Amino acid sequence: MRLSVAAAISHGRVHRRLGLGPRSRLDLLRNLVTALVRHERIEAPWARADEMRGYAERLIEYAKLGDTNERAMRMANFWLTEKDLIHKLFKVLAPRFQPHPGSYTRMLQIPNRNGIDRAKMAVIELKGNPFPPLIRPNRNTEKTLLNQLLKGYREDMQQAAAP
Amino acid sequence: RINSDGKPAAFQPPPKPVIIDKQKQREERRFLSPEFIPPRGRTDPLKYYIERKDMIQRRKVFNIPEFYVGHILAVTTADPYANGKVNRFVGICIQRGGKGLGATFVLRNVIEDQGVEMCYELYSPRIQAIEVLKLEKRLDDNLLYLRDALPEYSTFDMNMKPVSRLEHEEIPVNKLQVRMKPKPWSKRWERPKYNVKGIKFELPEKKMEEAQKWSQPWLEFDMLREYDTSKIEEKIWKEVSEELKK
Repeated sequence: MRLSVAAAISHGRVHRRLGLGPRSRLDLLRNLVTALVRHERIEAPWARADEMRGYAERLIEYAKLGDTNERAMRMANFWLTEKDLIHKLFKVLAPRFQPHPGSYTRMLQIPNRNGIDRAKMAVIELKGNPFPPLIRPNRNTEKTLLNQLLKGYREDMQQAAAP
Repeated sequence: RINSDGKPAAFQPPPKPVIIDKQKQREERRFLSPEFIPPRGRTDPLKYYIERKDMIQRRKVFNIPEFYVGHILAVTTADPYANGKVNRFVGICIQRGGKGLGATFVLRNVIEDQGVEMCYELYSPRIQAIEVLKLEKRLDDNLLYLRDALPEYSTFDMNMKPVSRLEHEEIPVNKLQVRMKPKPWSKRWERPKYNVKGIKFELPEKKMEEAQKWSQPWLEFDMLREYDTSKIEEKIWKEVSEELKK
């Protein structure tokens, strides 16, 4: 099946077009990946965070291959612009994610940026980070004393009203 | 011969030669034809499964040998308009394309000073036989630059005899550097995009440096473009070899 390679049609293309060109796009994503590895939770425009997520997870998979692997070291050297983070990647993050087979990041949307552009923003974090969790689960308040008493009162009222 | 006892010695047969069965010693070389590997995409794997079943069915009936780009093959196809109803073409395989049942390979030869390229489909029922005449791998994955090379590199005798080869040996890599016709070429082969290793560039240094302007060094670090096929290949190899043994 010969499929024509028309430049204007983008069916099936997976990479977004960010920045000034393919080199610029990779540089942007590289900065974001470095920041993620340094701070473990960052806010960024949603599209950039989404692109970056794939690269961050693949970087961690490379890091899992080990320190001695030549390819892994070259990849880490390219993707992390601050060289002290290479040590952190191989010695801290790789053992942390060793038991997990897959997703190492979590991405959630946040309210739009406050500046004039009102851009759609997202927060992306590595799982297992030391900060408090992003999503606070609601505590189940069914079993508190006050709620049980109120429930009992409600049922008594219904029984009195029904018959 | 007479023993010390004085009686003739019993006939001692000569010691049998020890045959080291290299077939079992060396582990069986696995070759999975590249058209079995599904491309990267969002299609249902059921489609590839059904195609693979059909491909295996065809392979059971007709033997498709293992070959790479750079091998010299002879293909006989059924042709209603040829005398004898068969048409034989000998050529060097320049590229193997397509996946699944539509997999093709292109053979190139120069006949009476005219370059001829024939594109055959591996699984076409018109093909009567494929013989590998000479096995050698080349430095590149596709030899499309032979179109711009001197014709002597693409001429092969139509009545060439198959070169004998021992089973289970490594396929030799021919590190031939091909000399080209003068420019203009059909494609700018000196550019790093084509990553051609088998040409002996006789261009001036300035041109080679200018061609490096189009290099994209970030491309090898772009992790999402990598397609790791090792696990898929394992699964498909098991499936295919089991089916073919039946």
